[in-house]
Amino acid sequence: MPWYLYLALKQLFPSGRRFPFFTLISILGVALGVALLVISISVMGGFGHEIRRMIVDTQGEVQVKGRGYLADAAPLHAAIARVPGVVATTAYAEGVALIEHDHKPAYPALQGIDLDHVDAVIPLRRFVRLGSLDRLDDDSVILSSQLAHSLGARLGSRVELYSPLLLEKLKNDEVMLPRELEVVGIFEVGHQQLDSSVVIVTLRTMQDLYGLGRGVHGINVKIADGADPDRIARLINAALPPEANAEARSWIDANQDFLFVLQLEKNMIFFLLTFIIIVAAFSVASSLLIAVVRKTREIGLLGALGGKPSQVAACFCFQGFFIGIAGTLAGLGLGFVFLHFRNDMIRVFTQLTGSEEVLTRFYQFSRLPAYTAPSDIAMIVVCSIVISTLAGLLPAWRAARLKPVEALRSE
Amino acid sequence: MPQESANSGNLSVKRSALSVERSAAAAAAAPILSARSLAKTYLTGTQRLQVLRYVSLTVAAGESVSIRGESGSGKSTLINLLAGLDAPDAGSLAWGGRPAAADRRADFLGIVFQSFYLIPEMDALANVLMAARIRGRIGAAERTRARALLARVGLGERATHLPAQLSGGERQRVALARALMNGPQLVLADEPTGNLDEHTGDAVIELLLGLCRDTRTALVLVTHNAAHAAKCSRPLMLHEGVLG
Repeated sequence: MPWYLYLALKQLFPSGRRFPFFTLISILGVALGVALLVISISVMGGFGHEIRRMIVDTQGEVQVKGRGYLADAAPLHAAIARVPGVVATTAYAEGVALIEHDHKPAYPALQGIDLDHVDAVIPLRRFVRLGSLDRLDDDSVILSSQLAHSLGARLGSRVELYSPLLLEKLKNDEVMLPRELEVVGIFEVGHQQLDSSVVIVTLRTMQDLYGLGRGVHGINVKIADGADPDRIARLINAALPPEANAEARSWIDANQDFLFVLQLEKNMIFFLLTFIIIVAAFSVASSLLIAVVRKTREIGLLGALGGKPSQVAACFCFQGFFIGIAGTLAGLGLGFVFLHFRNDMIRVFTQLTGSEEVLTRFYQFSRLPAYTAPSDIAMIVVCSIVISTLAGLLPAWRAARLKPVEALRSE
Repeated sequence: MPQESANSGNLSVKRSALSVERSAAAAAAAPILSARSLAKTYLTGTQRLQVLRYVSLTVAAGESVSIRGESGSGKSTLINLLAGLDAPDAGSLAWGGRPAAADRRADFLGIVFQSFYLIPEMDALANVLMAARIRGRIGAAERTRARALLARVGLGERATHLPAQLSGGERQRVALARALMNGPQLVLADEPTGNLDEHTGDAVIELLLGLCRDTRTALVLVTHNAAHAAKCSRPLMLHEGVLG
């Protein structure tokens, strides 16, 4: 081991002392900054990951939408199915309606699904908490959990669905009675917006409610694992007949702005929290500078014994580097431990403060999601170590500038 | 013609061998330390203070030279110049017949300071070994030598003690061992007993002189103590920057 590394380690961990205070404090400072970064970026990443997963799980990776509605979806299904990378397709119709139960109205979004093909594209069954998707037919509905709660509806309840065509009929002096449907299921996605205002009906029911005939509003597409959604969307667009008047978009493309904002928020958090590590690094630099001043005569001795200025500088630079390494490792450990127990901690906190509902209402999720991307960890590690090493640069430069004869004479 | 070429080749070999022999002889005959007309002036404010006035000094192998002088006579300045720690304003310095250079210091010189300058985070053995570490050589042989030197200075059983656990005299003895760790050809000692009591100082000087004698290491001892100076083979006086 080069002498300057040996001396750096000896100064960080002096013989005869069990707890080197300066070293512990410095490492702790960096560790706290890294832990905070890991936790924040992982939670931000978790939110983003959950939202992305939810979008894909509820919309499919690629959506083909008509400009207006698609009168005949069969040729489109055939064209899309021929595109390499496409695994399955399912048609859908969507809109809003008035729903009423026990004199309580609501205005949810309606999703009409093709029961024969939906399972191959969208894992709806996973979200059905009560009842069953198998019981859904043209005379029944599946309500989202919070919507059911607000309507006071449960399995077996009957709800009345008022079609938007009602107004058209009224213009012609016709009265359109509401559709009475039985609640055969309650679903919960885990996202507040979806859980509070979505109703699932069969495609046929939706087509009746909206007077679509055999038309649909779009086709959800499932692609092969690992396939690029944007590339598949381009291929589908090329394969669609021009008269279809439809366009395929990947879920990434369709939610571009939202995903951009998500990524921007994550980057801003990363940038801001990096300042914690910079503050810790300033503390390290300050302590090392004080050490250089205290050890001026020692530095002179090292020069007198034959040490080069660059080696003396490396001694102090290495201390910053070592503190960075140790602090980063400690911070990663702290961060991952917290992430492992995050929901337990959140549960204790919300129980103590009685704020569980508030958490769900404002943060859309009932559990704190976390997703740690390897690239994020790599970035945190590199930034932390680089910043800590740079903290040793100024003291190192100061040490290297000292002339042995002046340093030895120093009081 | 071939005969002449063969003879020319033999002559060339002989000339090369002779050149190597002359270099070795020249090196062997060269003084360990050769300082010629060293001058040093300090600027304090607007005043120029000439501390050394064209000092010349030659030290042979194994010789011990003492330089005595009053406070402010330039002793420490001279030692710093002889050690290559400072650059003279005029004059030249050679170690072993070759110009002094910072990268030769670890191999050629050992230095003993008045204030010991032990590294507080390291025990006695590690402090002695530091001289070898800086040279880039640290192995079993060096550790054995360091232990032997500590034993020679009477601290064999204090190898794991930190400087804070040693007395002033003991710390200076560790510094002596460190100065001799790399087998230098010259030891420069700048008031090694300046921070020690009389009795301890006497013991340290005896140890220093004995060690240098045993290892045939040249010694330049700067001191203000007349008795210590007299123990060297060539006592000199430095007065107002002039060596005599």
